[in-house]
Amino acid sequence: MECVLLRPVPEPPRTTHTIEFPYTRTLGPVIGPFLTGLRDQRILGARTPNGGVLVPPLEWDPATGEAIEPDLVEVGPGGTVETWAWVTQPSRKHPLDHPFAFALIRLDGASTGLLHAVDAGSMDQMRTGMRVTARWKDERIGHMTDVVFVPEAAA
Amino acid sequence: MSAADTAPAEDGPVTMMDYFMQLEYHELLCPVVRRYASQLLEGRLVGHKCPSCGLVYVPPRGYCPICVVETTDADEIVLADKGTVTNYTVVTPVQYYGQEETEPFVRASILLDGEGGMMNLQDIVDVPVDDVHVGMRVEAVWKPPGERNVDEISNRSWGSAEGCIDGWRPTGDPDVPAEQLRDKAF
Amino acid sequence: MLDVAIVGYAQSPSWRNAELTEPQFLFPVISEAIERAGIERRDIGFTCAGSCDYLSGQTFAFVSNLEAVGAWPPISESHVEMDGAWALYEAWVRLQHGDIDLALAFGSGKSSPGRLDEVFSLQLDPYTLTPLGADPVSLAALQARAMLDKGTITERDMAEIAARSRQSAADNPHAQIRSSPDADALLQEPYLTAPLRRHDLPPVSDGACAVVLATADRARATCERPAWIRGIDHRVEPHQPGMRDLTESISTRQAAKHAGVDDAPVDVAELCATFTHQERLLREAMGLDDTVRVNPSGGPLAANPVMAVGLARIAEAARAISEGGAGRAVAHATSGQCLQQNLVCVLEGA
Ligand SMILES: [Zn+2]
Repeated sequence: MECVLLRPVPEPPRTTHTIEFPYTRTLGPVIGPFLTGLRDQRILGARTPNGGVLVPPLEWDPATGEAIEPDLVEVGPGGTVETWAWVTQPSRKHPLDHPFAFALIRLDGASTGLLHAVDAGSMDQMRTGMRVTARWKDERIGHMTDVVFVPEAAA
Repeated sequence: MSAADTAPAEDGPVTMMDYFMQLEYHELLCPVVRRYASQLLEGRLVGHKCPSCGLVYVPPRGYCPICVVETTDADEIVLADKGTVTNYTVVTPVQYYGQEETEPFVRASILLDGEGGMMNLQDIVDVPVDDVHVGMRVEAVWKPPGERNVDEISNRSWGSAEGCIDGWRPTGDPDVPAEQLRDKAF
Repeated sequence: MLDVAIVGYAQSPSWRNAELTEPQFLFPVISEAIERAGIERRDIGFTCAGSCDYLSGQTFAFVSNLEAVGAWPPISESHVEMDGAWALYEAWVRLQHGDIDLALAFGSGKSSPGRLDEVFSLQLDPYTLTPLGADPVSLAALQARAMLDKGTITERDMAEIAARSRQSAADNPHAQIRSSPDADALLQEPYLTAPLRRHDLPPVSDGACAVVLATADRARATCERPAWIRGIDHRVEPHQPGMRDLTESISTRQAAKHAGVDDAPVDVAELCATFTHQERLLREAMGLDDTVRVNPSGGPLAANPVMAVGLARIAEAARAISEGGAGRAVAHATSGQCLQQNLVCVLEGA
């Protein structure tokens, strides 16, 4: 597409716009109790028919697609890091404003990895297989960020 | 800190969750809209006239979607800043998040005189909203040259001249009969 | 199943920051695909597009994109909020009805205006993942670490995939990155999100791709060497990254099996390996050995126009057959984080 500019360009020749949607979501019979649990300093998982425990709890079994009765059991607060990534430059959407690890954490009693943040201070404190435990916020509202995880040694 | 030290913020089950979604975008103005914007600053409305069907696009898009042909600066024409209201709606603002208007306002389609060109979603000023009607003759209310800006012009302005034209006011000329404005609603 | 072939394709360049709007850069791409197919625009019986309005933050951008098609008088069309590869899948299904003989699929996206990490975070579970700001690079890094720990890849392997991909793009006019330092030099760079370095990531790209499909008689009439779709399938895995094995791509394995990848040897594979380690995963899932030329175009590591990059893999695979003399090619597209959903398409020259 040939387009020749004949006159001075208004500076800067770019537009900025922001879109905002203030969502309020209902939580339902499984995520509701899960987030209520976080507010109350308990981490809940969902027992599956084959004996596994899903964390976060789901309303269906990801292996079979079958609906799960919300049989919630407490897991953690300690767990093991299954894999991790070191975030050197956190974004404004991340749960911590300084470098941290995202990790899949197999909480004690769970059969799946929970994605969450590990506030480890520095990358050399992180190892696959290390033990971590929950560190609760003072003010909790029933939200994923009511908790972060820290190395068990530092807790 | 143990569980006993910290009382939960609230009792009772958590049933709702707020999420404030905010995304910010920065986009380069495309060349045809840059050209349109710089002409607006000079007090001119320009568009592209399709070399195939003669339809006039304002702001220019760089193509005619009806004929599927590209249009270039060679197809640019200067448009009239007078025209006729071909369609309109009165918006009574509901105070949803982000709505800054509080009083009923008009959004009108204006068919420009001469070569044509449709300006959509235009504000009609200097007249009560109840008096706006199809066929009404209007003219652009330009901001003085020193006060013009194109800050709100984007690649998808859809006929916006915001920052350069404050709206359109009645000229007082006799109305154009509505029958002559069929198929010019938008 | 009716035989369907790819008879025309075109891509835009891949830009870091396109000045043109999405319909503007789609316009010549669609026209070129139609022209290369040797057909008339009005003969197209069905059109399907893939794009995502959140990428550039403009509501109904997918409707504006239709301006590049020639949608007046009204045409029969559809849209998927997915990569154009899934638009091609829908077009292929539509052709199976047998009442039309030509279909157009296209994909386009402008990634440059927004922040991909924030945009893609919004496609995740809104209760447990989006509130953490989980982003594609961090999630891919978790996957890479899991593979490194398991011993199925090394950081050097990843650097070599990066270097090879970008060097392969040297002759690809649609690519954005067409050269690379060697693996030794790349490994000297610091981590971005460990264990990923910058070279393990794709570029941020704006671009478009369009493909014309035809049923058998029409394909033979209009195209010297059509690329016949011999199999196409897509599969999806659980959403939560901790509820599937990140070191394998089971959905790719299933899709490849159903598409018939291992029915005969493969000459060329165009894989949507957006991160270096994913190429290894995909090769293993499809059973591609070292004789297969993987991503001769450079792949997503050389140009990553989101929503077009998967369809571009199919276009490149078709080009390898129609112009490059390949006999059998495999194309792959992906959706979601860490290869959650995968599409596999097998193309043959005869
Ligand atoms: Zn025209």
